[in-house]
Amino acid sequence: MKKLLLTALLSTLSGASAATLVFGGNGEPVSLESGNITDGISILVQRQIYDTLIDFKDGTTDLVPGLATKWTPNANNTSWTFTLRKGVRFHDGTPFNADAVVFNLGRWWDKAHPYGFRDQGRTFEIMGELLGGYKGDATAVIKNIVKVNDSTVRVDLNKPSSVLPNVLAAGYFGIASPTAIKKEGAKYGTPASKPVGTGPFIFQSWRTGDRVTLLPNKLYWGEKAKVDQLVIRSIKDASQRLNELKAGTIDFANDLTPDSLKSVQADKNLVAVKRPSFNVGFVSLNNRNQYLKNDKVRQAISMAINKKEIVDAFWNGLGVSNASFLPPVMSWANSPKVPADYKFDPQAAKKMLADAGYPNGFTLDLWYMPVSRPYFPTPKPIAEAIAADLSAIGIKVNLKTEDWAKYLEDRNKEPGFDMYMIGWTGDYGDPDNFYGAYYGANASDDINWNPPGVETLLQQGRAAATQAAKAKVYQQLHELTYNAAYRIPMVHSNPLAAARTYVKGWIPSPLGSEAFNTISVSGKK
Amino acid sequence: MGSYLIRRLLRTVLVMLGISLVVFVFVRSIPGDPAVAMLGERATPEAAAALREQLGLNKPWFFNPANPLDAQYPRYMGALLQGDLGAGIKSNIPVLDDLKARFPATAELSVAALLFALLIGMPAGILAALRRNSIWDNLATTISLLGVSMPVFWLGLLLSYFFAVKLGWLPPSGRLGADYDIQPITGFYILDALLRGQTAAAWDALRHLILPAIALGSIPLAIIARITRSSMLDVLGQDYVRTARAKGLPPRSVTLKHALRTALLPVVTVIGLQAGALLGGAVLTETIFSWPGIGSWVYDAISQRDYPIIQGGVIFAALVVSLANLIVDLSYAALDPRIQYN
Repeated sequence: MKKLLLTALLSTLSGASAATLVFGGNGEPVSLESGNITDGISILVQRQIYDTLIDFKDGTTDLVPGLATKWTPNANNTSWTFTLRKGVRFHDGTPFNADAVVFNLGRWWDKAHPYGFRDQGRTFEIMGELLGGYKGDATAVIKNIVKVNDSTVRVDLNKPSSVLPNVLAAGYFGIASPTAIKKEGAKYGTPASKPVGTGPFIFQSWRTGDRVTLLPNKLYWGEKAKVDQLVIRSIKDASQRLNELKAGTIDFANDLTPDSLKSVQADKNLVAVKRPSFNVGFVSLNNRNQYLKNDKVRQAISMAINKKEIVDAFWNGLGVSNASFLPPVMSWANSPKVPADYKFDPQAAKKMLADAGYPNGFTLDLWYMPVSRPYFPTPKPIAEAIAADLSAIGIKVNLKTEDWAKYLEDRNKEPGFDMYMIGWTGDYGDPDNFYGAYYGANASDDINWNPPGVETLLQQGRAAATQAAKAKVYQQLHELTYNAAYRIPMVHSNPLAAARTYVKGWIPSPLGSEAFNTISVSGKK
Repeated sequence: MGSYLIRRLLRTVLVMLGISLVVFVFVRSIPGDPAVAMLGERATPEAAAALREQLGLNKPWFFNPANPLDAQYPRYMGALLQGDLGAGIKSNIPVLDDLKARFPATAELSVAALLFALLIGMPAGILAALRRNSIWDNLATTISLLGVSMPVFWLGLLLSYFFAVKLGWLPPSGRLGADYDIQPITGFYILDALLRGQTAAAWDALRHLILPAIALGSIPLAIIARITRSSMLDVLGQDYVRTARAKGLPPRSVTLKHALRTALLPVVTVIGLQAGALLGGAVLTETIFSWPGIGSWVYDAISQRDYPIIQGGVIFAALVVSLANLIVDLSYAALDPRIQYN
């Protein structure tokens, strides 16, 4: 009786509106200003508020029209013309047109833009990362941004690029209302402001550290939202997100740990959702190390690691291991000459090591990340498994780690790490986004291996106009990097998400975030 | 008393200045720089250098020969003296805005935790002292030992799993359910909800407060119970208590009027010290319970090397602890007429 009373006293006073959709985010957005963010949760919230010029087809990395209905290059891919959607308005009533596009692109790209607020700490660093730099930089891809007429914008380039539309489709580059930015000034994008886009949801409030609340955009040009309110909560701890799902206080969530799969499957109120893989976790070998300089040593190391078993053990089946740097959705760019899987053969590896002149092995450092990432959810035990495999062929491995900020810095400082774990999650569906990040001129200098042939191929890849032409280039790159074995792909993981069973119409994007206007919650109590 | 207060406040200002210098040097001495942390996996040395320059982090710390005032510390102090703590490197949000938005959450949680600790810890300690070596005494001692030795994050997850997931009595984390919203007045959700007449929201906010308050209050509870017990035992053995008893005063009156008042002095000291411990404990409790306070915010800033946030957070925490100790010292005089400040 007492227990009953207590239960009655403590249980929820239900006043729930049936059509509130609650998402458990893995943290708080850093900012709601487009172009000035790089973290997953900021991008996810922004995708609800803003549209990008070009969008991705649900659940894929294929391009579909967004705020631009058409995008066409000139003959040699040095200029792109965007035809804009007509009749679209921002949430504040400002018409969407060429001026708005020039304004948005301009403030990201032009360091002197009056509304770029760089003197007040804005960095727009992702623009520099993905498009080679800013206005006037020798390495910058964009040369000029031109309004042709009210519904046409042309972007002229310094060098041919077929990936510009893919880059502009990435979640970083939502188009914001120029009126709102001019009005709010440098506080635009902070909790004290009201971000304004054209997207399916309208910003309502941002409670610092707690949640962002959005309302449906009844005038949305695309598919209209099916809920009355969208709440994105900040729940940093992964086990707490699972608790909230089980308790029914949130409806769906991303970034659960692979080991919670069983717990999700055992709960009849929950559905496990495997996000399509769009990442790569790999081990990098440093050319400055006297042993790792040797081609045979690197190949032996690659052959000695039982990648399949490691992926089965630590990802709970939520990932694949193959011999490509590219996630499976881009397998069209893989070379048929490279085996689909790395060969696991400790005997042959031992022999190869002996051939290389090290029959008794040697000692190396293996650095593992101190943080969890989708591509390496539990870095330390994974590193231990790699070390065990290597000790079987006589290579003694010292496991090392340090604080993440220092790890990122020290890997690029000479002499760097002998062997270290790192990974990459893609921004858009072009092989350049993967290879270009870790090979060639824009890559980090962590392994001291950067032959000119690689950079040439990367440039050809960026300039190639058709997928067939691209495939030809990236196949060569695949062969070249596979044979060199400086970066050994371990896994392409499927980040684990989950939802209550009444959540319908959620189509997770490989890119990590998607608009929630397709989701309905009929049957939610 | 007045001059004592002024002296103490002046000393607090000096301590704050000292702390601002120490934390300024300290955060910059931690290896790993903010530009690299911001760029994450994308960090190439060139990109990091460009970002560092834009953020002004490549400037000298204390003295720039070319332009003496254009160094990091003079700029920081110049702004600080005008009440400007700078803005988060990554978020661009003024540190003061974040402090204003987050401090009420931490304060609400800390007050609730302290209340929980006092309301359970003090009676338990008194009971244990009065019934020395009884089963009550043993129980109180054992529980307080458990309370001190249990890590907060573990206790937090355990509480959350048991009371929220298994029993469904309380929400697992957060500060308010998704169906409610409270327009801030004071920042204390329960108070604000009541002020705005939203009783359902106030109830919901209270339910969210219970588990984190228990998790955060467990250690102070244990400490308070032990201090109360030993202090009470000490006082009960003193002459004036014996005299009071001998005079034939009722035991209740002896315990509550004569003994307790003196026995509370060390307890008050501990409460003062716990102000700092509560802020420290809030780091873990807030992280586990998705509580939007300053603890988890500063914690994240440290891993991101977000200098302005770390500096602002530390200076602010130091201020809170100093003021808490000042209040404790002043309340001594109120509790014990033998103590006077001149």
